[in-house]
Amino acid sequence: MDAMTENKPARVVVIGLASCFGCQLQITNVERHLLDILGQVDLRYWQLTSSDPMPEEFDVAVVEGAATTEEAVETLSAARARARWVIAIGACAVTGGIPAMAAPGFEERAAAVYGEAAPEACGALRAPAPVGSVIAVDYEVRCCPIDPLDFADTLQRVLRGSNKSVPTSTLCGECKRNERGCFYGRETLCLGLVTRAGCGARCPDLGRPCNGCAGLSPDANVASARAVATRSGVDPARLDKALELFNTVDPSLAPKG
Amino acid sequence: MARTAISIDHIARIEGHGNVRLVIEDGQVLTCQMEVVEPARLFESMVVGRPFDEVPYVASRICGICSSSHVVTDLRAIEAALDVRVTDRTAALRELLVYGSFLQNHATHLFVFSAPDFLGHRSVFPLADENPALFDKALGMKALGNELCTAVGGRSVHPITAVVGGFTSEITPAEYRALADKMDAMADFAVEAVDLFDGFEVPAIETAGDMLAMVAPGRYPVCDSDAARFVRAGYDFNCAQVEEEVEEYPVGHSAAFLARARRTGSPYMTAALARVNASWDALSQRARYAAAKAGLRPPELNPLMNNLAQAVELVDVLDRCAALCRRLADDAFEGSSAPAAFEVRAGEGVGFTEAPRGALFHRLAIDREGRVIRANILTPTAQNVANLEADMRLLAEKLVGEGRSEAAIRLEVEKLVRAYDPCLSCSVH
Repeated sequence: MDAMTENKPARVVVIGLASCFGCQLQITNVERHLLDILGQVDLRYWQLTSSDPMPEEFDVAVVEGAATTEEAVETLSAARARARWVIAIGACAVTGGIPAMAAPGFEERAAAVYGEAAPEACGALRAPAPVGSVIAVDYEVRCCPIDPLDFADTLQRVLRGSNKSVPTSTLCGECKRNERGCFYGRETLCLGLVTRAGCGARCPDLGRPCNGCAGLSPDANVASARAVATRSGVDPARLDKALELFNTVDPSLAPKG
Repeated sequence: MARTAISIDHIARIEGHGNVRLVIEDGQVLTCQMEVVEPARLFESMVVGRPFDEVPYVASRICGICSSSHVVTDLRAIEAALDVRVTDRTAALRELLVYGSFLQNHATHLFVFSAPDFLGHRSVFPLADENPALFDKALGMKALGNELCTAVGGRSVHPITAVVGGFTSEITPAEYRALADKMDAMADFAVEAVDLFDGFEVPAIETAGDMLAMVAPGRYPVCDSDAARFVRAGYDFNCAQVEEEVEEYPVGHSAAFLARARRTGSPYMTAALARVNASWDALSQRARYAAAKAGLRPPELNPLMNNLAQAVELVDVLDRCAALCRRLADDAFEGSSAPAAFEVRAGEGVGFTEAPRGALFHRLAIDREGRVIRANILTPTAQNVANLEADMRLLAEKLVGEGRSEAAIRLEVEKLVRAYDPCLSCSVH
């Protein structure tokens, strides 16, 4: 019998792995609504804001960051064993994000930065991986950083349930509704062609092409995107390179054969 | 034999993961370590081979709280390497963006991280019931920082609009004026914050280390000077010489490299306190008065006074941002913020800014095709850890000498760590 079915507020812990802490900060960046959002849950552990230690029992684990050490893997396994729901927040946790750019040749990179051996304090390093490749994840809040209201929305779904399905379409459709024109008409690379929708195309709306922080859409047709790039005077190799920013460890981008 | 071992795992209310190890035996501090156990993400290796214009976007992800600073620092490094000149308007917008992160950082650090220690709480949340007016105003200050970053950068964390040579988007003059009014309206609370932190008692210690800050004649610069000053030793250097002046060295208990001044061998602090010490005369009048009233005047060598220095900076930043916003609304800066045109070529440059937590340096070397050959990042916290350890030893020795309890020493040590406002995710990067 867990807390939620006993009609008690869900016990929530927030866990930070390898990340910039920006998504945890984004949770606090809804100042006006912060107490309303946190008031619905029994917040048991959040190292960023409180000295209270990690408890033995909880219902919801919110995880930010990529797993880059064996200790992180243990933390995740322990959290999975205890939590009824695991929410991965931010690109690092969902797709491996920017930390996963270092995944290819990770050990050599560590040696290049630290010399022969990384300090003991680094822990037992392993190639960066998204949370979902280590443990089962129930909910995802995408993007780098997360939109705090997206987190609030996901938390509602965890606490109260929802029939809403997660969008799988690409960003282009959302962007077109903003009527700002297309970067490809200006010979400029944009990853909106293949990136998962859901953010409202904030970056293109502000004059900046999409960098793909929501991760590759399951509906993406990368081969077709390369053809679009070529037709628009953008080197398709640049599209492939740019896709590494947030999708280095996405198995669907691995070379075929 | 009286032996006290204080171990704090994953010290709370700081950004990133760190442990404190302190062993005291018969009044002697035997071990005093700040273990930085933040996972290494290896940013310097990650950007090698990538297009130069991706670097600010990637480096921004070193740290959520000072993402604006990492972006502006990288833009300055790239522009130094490629000889790109920006307009006064672009420079003013960058200043606003950096100040936005000062407001976010200082408000978060002072009220969410630091104040609970002095008010007898484990987090800021009990304050919502105990002193709702203070709680609301504190979060209001933080929200204003977010609003400023969103207005200038497009969102509160990881700015979108700041690119090489300029900005991709700007808000309207009316929006700048509305922001300026909000800054003015918040100024009284910033002065109250100085009084609040002035009222918190801290042990009297003096750091033996130096202080490092960006300087410019007659100003309080944050992102438009190349001159750095070791305030106590009394010499300046150009940011392009940072590696000749600052030695980074590894220690086993820290995933971050530590740092010391090469000329003097001294560890040092870089933070709001170093800036106030370096440029006190150039604080806004209101900030200077507030500082003077609280007794914060150079030379101030107690690192615990960094909290107070941040509160003084809140006053200063609000005054400066209000003026900048009004001038932007009036189109009083030369040039447009539209990204300047430039040629890609081989080059190398150092970007230098004052991040909320102190001096931040990025070096980038770029090849003819615009790909990154080499990157070096020196963050404020990496520079501060050695000095923090030295001060922690000083503090522990003093408290042991006064016969204070283990619990009291532990709390004071935590307060000192927080006063440094460490960002361990930055320090390891």
